[in-house]
Amino acid sequence: MTNISRRTFLQTASACAAVAALGSVGRRALARSKGRVIVVGGGYGGTIAAKYLKMADADKDVLLIEKDSPFVSCPMSNEVLSGERDMKSLSFDYRALSQRRGIHIAQDEVVRIDPEKRFVKGSSGKVYRYDKLVVAPGVDFRYEKIEGYSPAVAERIPHAWKAGPQTTLLRSQLEGMRDGGVCCIVAPPNPFRCPPGPYERAAQIAMYFKHHKPKSKVLILDAKDSFSKQGLFMQAYKKFYGDMVEWVSGASGGIIEAVRPDAMTLVGQVDEFKGDVINIIPPQKAGRIAHLAGLTDKSGWCPVDQATFESTIHKDVYVIGDSCIAGAMPKSGYAANSQGKVAAAAIAAAMSGRAAPATSYVNTCYSIAGPDWGFSVAGVYELKDGKIQSVPGAGGLSPIDASAHTRAVEAEYARSWFRNITEDMFS
Amino acid sequence: MNETTTRLAALAAGLMLAGSVCAQDVRSPSALANTCAGCHGTNGASAGDLMPIIGGMDKTYLQNTLMEFKSGARDSTIMGRIAKGYSDLELKAIASYMAAQPWVSASTKADAKLAEEGKDIHEKECETCHEDGGRDQQHKAPRIAGQWPAYTLLYLQECREKGRRCAHPKMGARVMKLSDEQLQAMAQYYVSQK
Repeated sequence: MTNISRRTFLQTASACAAVAALGSVGRRALARSKGRVIVVGGGYGGTIAAKYLKMADADKDVLLIEKDSPFVSCPMSNEVLSGERDMKSLSFDYRALSQRRGIHIAQDEVVRIDPEKRFVKGSSGKVYRYDKLVVAPGVDFRYEKIEGYSPAVAERIPHAWKAGPQTTLLRSQLEGMRDGGVCCIVAPPNPFRCPPGPYERAAQIAMYFKHHKPKSKVLILDAKDSFSKQGLFMQAYKKFYGDMVEWVSGASGGIIEAVRPDAMTLVGQVDEFKGDVINIIPPQKAGRIAHLAGLTDKSGWCPVDQATFESTIHKDVYVIGDSCIAGAMPKSGYAANSQGKVAAAAIAAAMSGRAAPATSYVNTCYSIAGPDWGFSVAGVYELKDGKIQSVPGAGGLSPIDASAHTRAVEAEYARSWFRNITEDMFS
Repeated sequence: MNETTTRLAALAAGLMLAGSVCAQDVRSPSALANTCAGCHGTNGASAGDLMPIIGGMDKTYLQNTLMEFKSGARDSTIMGRIAKGYSDLELKAIASYMAAQPWVSASTKADAKLAEEGKDIHEKECETCHEDGGRDQQHKAPRIAGQWPAYTLLYLQECREKGRRCAHPKMGARVMKLSDEQLQAMAQYYVSQK
């Protein structure tokens, strides 16, 4: 060490020039030229991007724009349908993010993004300027794919795929239904938000029926021929609900082409299905603002550099969560959480003139299919050839032959998962 | 070595260390460990119930535990599936990152009566390894004081089930003798010890 020459020192320094910015001198110099980051959408991805940007650099100016307050969580909202949970336990406010983390919060709906001049405009008429923009708007629905369905009809025949008044509406319809009635769930084609969600929903509704309306039925009409955690769900349906839950695959006539709201009838490719309660989870696409801002491709979702989540269409705009195309990752709350952290690190690096750091992504998703009966899927991902891919040998499903004790523990883990992921978002 | 040289050497050493993160494919400890927060809370400070607090826990204990999850030597519901996604070095980096975080005790009040009962059991059976009321951090006896009681209870129940086959046979043998209420009492005692 004593013989370290100036030349060696300089070589080392230049080899790693970018890292010099990490030094305390560099950090102080940069503090004077901090830019502003705006995050559009305060859900599972957006809150995390905002918070982890502040954790990386408390001096950074971060503004979170969200149209709704309080936030109502989609994950765990199926438990409202069985009566196991109330809406209040799904609701969170942005106070701690503002007071404890110093994130600016604006309640506004972003209706325009100008990626050239780098500003967004709210429906309030306000204009917000940014240096880097994170777009995390979740999903929007392709109502037009089911003839007769529309936002107006959804006020009567709910999708309940964005937790809130629609969840409450579906619950009250189930409560008002006669014993011996049929609840139809129309499950969407891939890709869509929360792949196991429709099937957990069927189980939660059946749980309610079993105790309160035992002659009733849940009929899942699916656009697909297979679904997430299928073996585990089918096993649970049989164990707890017998014939109460029936699944009709796309190939056996489950594809729904139209709805006749006044007749409470779904029109399939072969048969028609009458429901006492109908829940249509429509085909999906990226959130509305992503389309308005031209961030989507032909698929209806947003292509991004999967190492950073920067849009491949607009520079300095990062799309995370359900709206983005993220390789092997599903559209889940945990995936959005993981992506929010990757995007935050990439933005922090870019704003300090450093290269984007190497990434790590995880998904963990629990479903509760019966009393004390939970199971999970996990995924660990890495970036390979520019794409997010599953690490071979890792992740996967809960074993099909797990003990009742394990299922009970996993149901409790699901609830603890919820406590922690929402704490990660809102504290 | 004069002062300037010392500083220059220290700075260069720092840069050389930092140099190792220049390679694009090396994932930083924070990038790896932040993926745990969705279940274990920000920086491992769990918000509750069955998810244990891991931030601020003994480094070697965490590292060994992750390695045991990966190999299957330690039973788990989901951690085995997750741990298999990382190299041994990455697991070590995650353990180091979590160990370096502050320990934040569970924000829940203990049942005073049960905690009192748990204290007696602790002093008789546990204090020799889990010193200072379970606050001590050792690689074979990590901190249990301030841990979420639901987690402590589940761990004790599963240990009792295994008896001498428990990860630590001596502990298994002692836990085997305890009743449900006594395990509850211990979980309450430890959360009372912030």
